[in-house]
Amino acid sequence: MGQNSTTILVPIIKNKVDELLDLLAGINEGLAMGKPPLFEELNIIHFARWVVIDHGKSWINDPVERTPKLLFVVDYDGKETDLLRKLCTDSAELLDKVYAYCENFPILEKRTPDSRTAFLTNNVIKDAAVYIGAPGRTVRQIKDESNLRDFIRKYLDSTTWGNLSAQAIHQTIKNEVSSNGNFAFLDQKVKIPSVNWLGLIFLGIVLLVLLPLTIVLLLLVIVWVLVLHIFYERKDENFIRKRSQLNDKFMTELEKYEDFTSQNQFTQLVDMKEGKFRLFTIKAMFSLSKSLIKFVFVKGKLMGIPTIHFAKWVMFEENSRVLFFSNFDGSWQQYLGDFIDNSGWGLTGIFSNTKVFPKTNFLLTGGAYDEEHFLAWSRNSELVTNVWYSAYPHLSIKNINNNTKIRVQLMKSLSERQAAKFLKLI
Amino acid sequence: MTTLELNDIQGYLIRGYAHMMYSRFVYLQITDAEATKNWLAKSWKTMTTAEHIPKKDQISSTHLNIAFTYSGLEKLGLKTDNLGSFSREFRQGMVSPHRTRLLGDLGNSAPENWRWGGPFNKPIHLCLMVFGNDKEGDDDIEKDKIVCINYYELLKAHFAGNGLEEILFIDGQTQPENKEHFGFRDGISQPIIEGSGRVGPKDDVIKAGEFIFGYKNDFGVYPDTPLIRAEQGNLNLLPPDAEGSGLKDIGRNGSLMVMRQLEQNVKTFWSFMNEKTKNEDHSINVAESLKLAAKVIGRWQSGAPITLFPDKDPGVISDINDFGYAKFDKDGLKCPFGSHLRRTNPRDSVDDHGRKESLKLSNQHRIIRRARLYGEIFEGSPVNNVPNGEVGLLFCCFNADISRQFEFLQYTWANLPKTKELYNDPDPIIGVKEKTTAGEEQNFTVQDLPVSRTISDLPQVITVKGGDYFFFPSITVLRFLSTI
Repeated sequence: MGQNSTTILVPIIKNKVDELLDLLAGINEGLAMGKPPLFEELNIIHFARWVVIDHGKSWINDPVERTPKLLFVVDYDGKETDLLRKLCTDSAELLDKVYAYCENFPILEKRTPDSRTAFLTNNVIKDAAVYIGAPGRTVRQIKDESNLRDFIRKYLDSTTWGNLSAQAIHQTIKNEVSSNGNFAFLDQKVKIPSVNWLGLIFLGIVLLVLLPLTIVLLLLVIVWVLVLHIFYERKDENFIRKRSQLNDKFMTELEKYEDFTSQNQFTQLVDMKEGKFRLFTIKAMFSLSKSLIKFVFVKGKLMGIPTIHFAKWVMFEENSRVLFFSNFDGSWQQYLGDFIDNSGWGLTGIFSNTKVFPKTNFLLTGGAYDEEHFLAWSRNSELVTNVWYSAYPHLSIKNINNNTKIRVQLMKSLSERQAAKFLKLI
Repeated sequence: MTTLELNDIQGYLIRGYAHMMYSRFVYLQITDAEATKNWLAKSWKTMTTAEHIPKKDQISSTHLNIAFTYSGLEKLGLKTDNLGSFSREFRQGMVSPHRTRLLGDLGNSAPENWRWGGPFNKPIHLCLMVFGNDKEGDDDIEKDKIVCINYYELLKAHFAGNGLEEILFIDGQTQPENKEHFGFRDGISQPIIEGSGRVGPKDDVIKAGEFIFGYKNDFGVYPDTPLIRAEQGNLNLLPPDAEGSGLKDIGRNGSLMVMRQLEQNVKTFWSFMNEKTKNEDHSINVAESLKLAAKVIGRWQSGAPITLFPDKDPGVISDINDFGYAKFDKDGLKCPFGSHLRRTNPRDSVDDHGRKESLKLSNQHRIIRRARLYGEIFEGSPVNNVPNGEVGLLFCCFNADISRQFEFLQYTWANLPKTKELYNDPDPIIGVKEKTTAGEEQNFTVQDLPVSRTISDLPQVITVKGGDYFFFPSITVLRFLSTI
């Protein structure tokens, strides 16, 4: 089953923001104390968050008066219609509590699964690009495979294996697992996604065959970047603060929500630079990202970053603003450190089209590669994530992908060499 | 090529003063800022610099260095805007709800239980580092001690007159073989600062800006140095911001210093190793116990890396440091992925990155370590594991970016149990929690053939007893501080 991501943005009723914030704080505290949210029972939601945006002043002193809005972001298994329907039926109590503070939510007497679903559906905003660290893995599968790995690990530790061959051990594990009723799911065959080399080769051939066109395309890109540099980059207002110069109170507020488990969240909101040129550039970057995510970044790494479960970009309010969300392993520092090393090009290509970004040149230098300013920019444009839920906070994305490998290799017939490799996974 | 202004840099940042086997770290409060500034106006000349002195007999028998906490600089009279230009970590200090979570200072390591630096302790304003070496004696710690203490007494006689009040002191010692209390040779691997004049393996040479303000770091940019934003004092003394902002730089040739007093629970450490490797008749298997401990640490007691000597300790004191994990031990069969040294400096083997990328990542998280022993010197082993009284390490390190360096190492690489392909393996030395939550495991996985083994239920062998973040200014800045 495929994974999907949905973003729902709703204006909050005037003067109700503080009450809503209190409610969200209560839900988040409950989560921290191990009280699961109603929707956990659905067993299809990987990550979810509620974020209140446009409450207080914009970080770049944007003069526009904005209405506070509630953002709901959810990563889940299956189709959007099914998810919304289930949420509006089985988790209605929670939804009602939260959305009672929002504009246009059906009044009490008119709240039905249908009316709630219609409300949510009407407020869905489109994703610009979505990344999934373990494509195809459902919540159920992730939990099952985690149990399987733990079971095998315990079994391996329960005895000594002397000089048994790897093949023999593989077979013994297989027998032990097969005789255990908890692992009936192993009958279902699963595939591990792989890089679409065929598609890439095909693309390469097409580009070669149409060499003149390719050259024209390249030239166009070069001209584009030159124009961007001369007419846009040089006139940009740049972000020049360092981390030490960020607002202390706001940093403390962000930190309140961080580093409780080995997973963390990140929500970021920035404003687009004006003009069609910038819009076209960011859209082109999103298209490139989407293709790469589909064909290349399918094995748990986004531009080389091995710690992201789900991430996505969203544009809204007539493409004038960009949201970025991520659910990841480890700390904020490692997350961004990784970004700089492996994907500075991608981040610069995308975010330099938004206002007040660290100075870039030809979309290639500066920007995300300017470590100190980039870290500060990123932290400064971050938002407090009011409620954050993870279905499996104890698992890293590497664990999840490794568990699938274990599951797949366990069910195969393996050569001695393959079996030895399999044992290394556990 | 960068050249460091060694005569402006306080010595302890560049040199470990290893020949000065006895030292006293004195934590003080400023009671009279004017008096302290008057003292600084003279005493900056007496601070030991990093300047290389080729003739041994010209090296002073005593060394002195100084560092300030945030509240110390505040007390001294640095203006709010200028204080505000220091990094957030330094300004907050080691204790805040988030930082405590990040550093794993929970349970018996919680700041509430600390001896110093905690919420129930008197705030520390500055730390004086006093070192002594008897030039006649040959590695004789008792003789060094006399020199150190005499110098300390000399300084102490003027504390009150200089507006200073002593809160506490901790005596830091080194051993000729540099073994810590668990019995392992320590301090072998240090980054080599580019431009410091030291030489060593190319992979270990790190840009000066990783440790010293005013120089470029490994990302090719200048670290976030504190700048003068509100005029005060004799600004003519200060150098301009190297980045060209036009502001005066109070950080240049200085660094940030992290200090943590870590009690070592020697008996717990060795009892655990003994228990996990005992013979069938329950007697201690010394060889196996030593081997497991070496796997946990990453080196044998002699200092020899287990990566190069997988079977047994070669026995001779070793400083071998020019090796990589990817090259010699890709699968962790010799030095497990979870071992203390491998995870805190993974060298050429970070996650599944290639060698070059790994080295780059590793080098973005290096620190200069300056640990010294406290308590009665003891060399632990499987059969000798009850020291006389409390023993431990006064951990000290230098870095320009506490968040990306020290805190990253403590949190991301030590406390988080997910290094490499691991699941439930915190750093077995500095990452283990006293109490786990329901269902949580703390293991050490020994990669092996045909299958890896889980060493379960790691005990906490380090208890944090105190700590603080300090600014370690240049000589020039000490002089400037006397004029504010």
